[in-house]
Amino acid sequence: MGEAHRRIMDYLNTFSDAIATQDGALLRRLLSLSSNNPKLLSVADALNVFQDVSRLIRQSSETLSPLLRSLQCYKLDQLVDAYNSYEKFANAFIQEFRNWESAWALEALYVVAYEIRIIAERADRELASNGKTPDKLKAAGSFLMKVFGVLAGKGPKRVGALHVTCQLFKVYFKLGTVHLCRSVIRSIETARIFDFEEFPTRDKVTYMYYTGRLEVFNENFPAADQKLSYALAHCHPDHEANIRMILKYLIPVKLSIGILPGDLLLERNNLLEYRDVVLALRRGDIRLLRCALQQHEDRFLRSGVYLVLEKLELQVYRRLLKKIYIIQKHKDPSKAHQVKLDIIVKALKWLQIDMDVDEVECIVAILIYKNLIKGYFAHKSKVVVLSKQDPFPKLNGKPVGL
Amino acid sequence: MMSEGGSAQAAAAATSDSNSLEYQAEGNQGHTYQYYPSAAGSAPAPWPVHGGDHPSSGNRTVQNVSYQYNPQQSSTGANMANVSSITSTSTASGTDNASNVYSSYAPYPTSTNPYGYASSEYTNYYSGYQQQSAQPYTQASGAYQNSGSAYQPISSFPNPGSYAGSTSYSSTYYNPADYQTTGAYAGSSYSSQATVWNQGNYTNYPHQYGNYSHDSSSSYTSSNAAATTNYQQHYQQWADYYSSQTEVTCAPGTENTAVTTAAALPCPIPGVSSGSGYSAPVSQAQASYTPTWRPETSLSALPSQQTTSTVGAYEDYWKHATQSFQNHQDTSLQSNFQKPLHENTSHPIIQNQQQTLVTQVSSSQYTEVQQTHTQPLQPFTPADTLRVSKLQIPTNPRIASNMALAVPRTIKETATSSVTVKPAYVSVSLPKPNDKVLSSTSDSNAKTGMFPSSLRGYVERALARCKDEKQRAACQEVMKEKITEATAEGTLYSRDWDTEPLFPLPDIGTVNNDGQSVAPVMSLSTFKRSPSRRTKSRWEPLPEDKPIEKPTSTCQDSARHGVWTHFSGRENKSLAVKSERKNATLSRFSAVEQTSVSRSAHRPAKRQRFGNDLSATENGDASSDSDKEQSLTAYYSGATTLANSPEERKRRENRSKRFDNGTGQRTENHYRPKNVKSGNLYARRATALVLSRTFEDGGPRAVEDIDWDSLTVKGTCQEIEKRYLRLTSAPDPSTVRPEEVLEKALDMVQNSQKNYLYKCDQLKSIRQDLTVQRIRNELTVKVYETHARLALEFGDLPEFNQSQSQLKSLYGEGIAGCRMEFSAYNLLSVSLLSNNRRDLLSLMSRLSDEAKKHEAVKHALSVRSAVTSGNYVLFFRLYKSAPNLNTCLMDLCVEKMRFEAVKCMSRTFRPTIPVSYVAQVLGFSSTSEGEASDEKDVDGLEECTEWLKAHGACLISDNNGELVVDAKVSSSSLYMPEPEDAVAHGDANLAVNDFFTRAST
Repeated sequence: MGEAHRRIMDYLNTFSDAIATQDGALLRRLLSLSSNNPKLLSVADALNVFQDVSRLIRQSSETLSPLLRSLQCYKLDQLVDAYNSYEKFANAFIQEFRNWESAWALEALYVVAYEIRIIAERADRELASNGKTPDKLKAAGSFLMKVFGVLAGKGPKRVGALHVTCQLFKVYFKLGTVHLCRSVIRSIETARIFDFEEFPTRDKVTYMYYTGRLEVFNENFPAADQKLSYALAHCHPDHEANIRMILKYLIPVKLSIGILPGDLLLERNNLLEYRDVVLALRRGDIRLLRCALQQHEDRFLRSGVYLVLEKLELQVYRRLLKKIYIIQKHKDPSKAHQVKLDIIVKALKWLQIDMDVDEVECIVAILIYKNLIKGYFAHKSKVVVLSKQDPFPKLNGKPVGL
Repeated sequence: MMSEGGSAQAAAAATSDSNSLEYQAEGNQGHTYQYYPSAAGSAPAPWPVHGGDHPSSGNRTVQNVSYQYNPQQSSTGANMANVSSITSTSTASGTDNASNVYSSYAPYPTSTNPYGYASSEYTNYYSGYQQQSAQPYTQASGAYQNSGSAYQPISSFPNPGSYAGSTSYSSTYYNPADYQTTGAYAGSSYSSQATVWNQGNYTNYPHQYGNYSHDSSSSYTSSNAAATTNYQQHYQQWADYYSSQTEVTCAPGTENTAVTTAAALPCPIPGVSSGSGYSAPVSQAQASYTPTWRPETSLSALPSQQTTSTVGAYEDYWKHATQSFQNHQDTSLQSNFQKPLHENTSHPIIQNQQQTLVTQVSSSQYTEVQQTHTQPLQPFTPADTLRVSKLQIPTNPRIASNMALAVPRTIKETATSSVTVKPAYVSVSLPKPNDKVLSSTSDSNAKTGMFPSSLRGYVERALARCKDEKQRAACQEVMKEKITEATAEGTLYSRDWDTEPLFPLPDIGTVNNDGQSVAPVMSLSTFKRSPSRRTKSRWEPLPEDKPIEKPTSTCQDSARHGVWTHFSGRENKSLAVKSERKNATLSRFSAVEQTSVSRSAHRPAKRQRFGNDLSATENGDASSDSDKEQSLTAYYSGATTLANSPEERKRRENRSKRFDNGTGQRTENHYRPKNVKSGNLYARRATALVLSRTFEDGGPRAVEDIDWDSLTVKGTCQEIEKRYLRLTSAPDPSTVRPEEVLEKALDMVQNSQKNYLYKCDQLKSIRQDLTVQRIRNELTVKVYETHARLALEFGDLPEFNQSQSQLKSLYGEGIAGCRMEFSAYNLLSVSLLSNNRRDLLSLMSRLSDEAKKHEAVKHALSVRSAVTSGNYVLFFRLYKSAPNLNTCLMDLCVEKMRFEAVKCMSRTFRPTIPVSYVAQVLGFSSTSEGEASDEKDVDGLEECTEWLKAHGACLISDNNGELVVDAKVSSSSLYMPEPEDAVAHGDANLAVNDFFTRAST
């Protein structure tokens, strides 16, 4: 009993010390429930042991009592309660934070933002398993929005804005309410008070990763490429998981602008699901592409790159046509630029893809229409007449299309 | 007028008894007992003469109180208007003073007068006024009485009968809606009373106004030509105009307190107009107010007659005032009170501080009464001016009444202004001739000529009891109040003074002290209650029973309490001139005031009395604890009076019941006013109540918390066919079809030969019946599926989407249906129509393996990929082989696909494209390739040709005579024609033709 009391008092004292000395790092440790810090756990235990917790909690300051309660609930795996209390605490905390002139507590605020998201996610899981509507993450999202509001102004605290933005992105992506990101992005990108480069690198990388993903959804490949490449370039090389996450989106983007990754890259980052796709692109093997897509359909659908990869089909057809063209060129250079549809149909048949002339004609028309091939189509003779100059122009980073 | 007044008086008298009874009854109730002590202890002090009478004559007390109250207010306002004059009664004596006063005003004129009058003009005006005032004055007094009587009913609850005849206005005035409000407010009896009251008031008003108008016209003319004209116009002919004008003129006044005041004075003359004039400043102060005001006036229908017009305007005003009548009523009551107050104020040689107090009081009161109106305290500020001039004499009762009206408005928003005002008030010393007021009794004696001999006798009796000068003075004070009150209520002549109980002798020793003041306070409070009482009555019972309610009730009490304090403060002023004390009180008050102010400030204006109550409550919070008990007692006693009627009791029961469910009642309380208003309606359908209340409350509770079970009906209707009508109230079981009938109805629809619009209507009504009965089973699914299919066939996407989303949740509940078919539709509609990649992705990722093997789903997926890749050949093949109604969805993008395809082909094909090929590839020929019947091919060819031409393709004949598309030319000439059936609103279903067909079927 005495021990428990001592621990709790110790915690409270440390807390007030941290605030008094403006020790952000210390404060951070005290707030991080999900870190499973043994000290925190012992306090949580103490809270559980201590008979008169509620009285004690009431005695402690208004700000802290919800935190203690949250800690206690967290230890007991009552995550919904833990979340509710933590949110209460967090609200009080940002109130305080608002009043602090300097940004010393930024670290602690980060932790709060992080914790509230993590706890909310877990609380939602708990709610869902109880058959209730999981709404905590949403609540966390609106709380983080509030935090963003606190940070977004001028002054030293602005540095933290990007971090909170990233947390918000995580929440929104998880909730599937990605459209909510737009307002945050706008305020980050249009605010000229603060140069983007002045934000901490880790936040920049995260931010670029998420905005890159958004661009992937919008199929705005050049922008996606730029953002994801930035993220990849600035990502700490030791954070392999992060690199992999970035590559997961960067590779399809690069593929769709005609840049194929090396095998080594895929292997090193354990992105083998792309291997067949890349191979299909190399070989012009439409069947392989379809198989790969089907095989990893779930994964691709979940990560949202399925539609992007699906579009690679045209490039595969082009590859196939190019191969035919090259072979013809070997045989008879003078007639190489005339490709009969029958040949393509036959080639596809070898790939066990059953397409008739009309369909192939359509696909070739689309290829020409989208500038993947230069040439024209002679309907009567069922022949594709390729341009003599550069019949297969390289994409060179341009997206497929007009 | 007099006759009316007389009748009113009689009624009042009759009622008075009942009141007293009620009052006592209240006393019996637990709460009241507190009241008694306070009353007993304090009461004696203030009114020695009155003695035991006080308790017994509940009504009188009330009246007295009211009187006192008025005076106070008047003092507040009073200051503004020489209300006092009336009080002082109406007498000529006032006139002289008045002139002085007015003249004094002249200097004040800071005039920024919006009014356009110069200060000097004012003086003129006033003087003119005075002269005229003599006559009008008496009249006014008469009018006043009437109004007073009207008032009485409220407090006493007399029978409406006497009043009923009085006004034609009443009818106009009260539309059902208004009634509802009232009804909700108090028990039915209450409402009727209220109504009566209103009528009475109105009636009175017209008279007053009539007088006023005359006066005003003359006075105005003399003073300011321009102004006069305007005013006259207003008054006489265009109520609307008038109001607007008033606004204009007066509005500026706000800036100048002095000016305003002056304006106020003139205003009284015009009667209604005066009220408006006052309000005008208010309006200025708050822009928001003005708009409301205007509409009112505009509404007034009777421009032609002076009186009528005025009245009409008045009425309108009331109506529109945003606030319900009740508020106005309160106001008017207040106005009555005001006069007496004036006297009181005058009594004390008031120091600025005192005045402040007064102001505070008034402000607080006002706030209570009408939150909405709160704001305009500023106009009152003019008090300074007032102080200079002794307002007392000239003021006609009408003025007072007007004032009151104006005041509430002004009060409207608030407190902020009131705070500001304070300083102004401070400066004002209520110079009102204490002598005068004090001597009022004596005056009254002197005036005996005017008073009934019985009254004289009463006064003599009362004074005879006094042992020394002090007591005598106190007695006089009390008497004066009594008389003023009687005058105000119009019972002066009708009352049986011979039998009137004497009031307890004032305890002079205590007089100067707080304790002493308590008695008056008490009376005030009681009085006060009467105006606001109805409002509170609703609440009162609840607090006792329900813990939830408690806070509110307490608040109210405290609010009252706050008022009291103010009053007592005033009392002090009037009776005792101890400055120190005053200071103390003052500070206290001011504190209270401020708090209250701030509170009320952020509170949204409420339309109803309830709102007022609430605000009052809020104010009350600020009051000190010590006061609480007293206020509580008073409060409860007042409450109990109301509580006694059986109807009221029943109501309360009902009311309390509704708090049994749900949480977050605290919030609800605040919003309740609204609910209350519609209470009558709700009573009819208890179930609906729950719903609507929730909605009205702005959703303190989540929709999930509604007890849908209690709202679910079981249909009894046997009709198979039923037209769809959107429900605007709770469903009536007799028009809802039970499940068996709905099944038949569905069959009927499915087999019907009628057009889609008919079927859609029928299906909607079926869906509605299902919904209100909360039937969610296979039948429901079938209905929605049927509707979705029909909508698809017809191309009614909105309807389809509705059904689709319902189906989604129904399937989600595990109810069997054509799930695959509809998930295919879903896929198609998302991929073809919404173009939302994220939705599509999540939809696809949620497809089960089983679903992916399903023909329809597979088809949908293929269609999707054909569309995304632009593979028109595949698309039209799939189009031909589409299962179910997939075709219908694909139809929606056929045009687009064709156009894209032709564009693509014309860009890539050289030199020509045979039309036959295009027709075949793009699905024009209705047969699939191979087994072509020539006839159809030809049809398809023609159709294709037409289509190509319509889209700007260049068609030529080649060597063999075959029609071909010149690809090169066409590639630059293709365009998307405007759809022929396009309608401006984008929904072809709404086309006029369809409406006609619909009407004819």
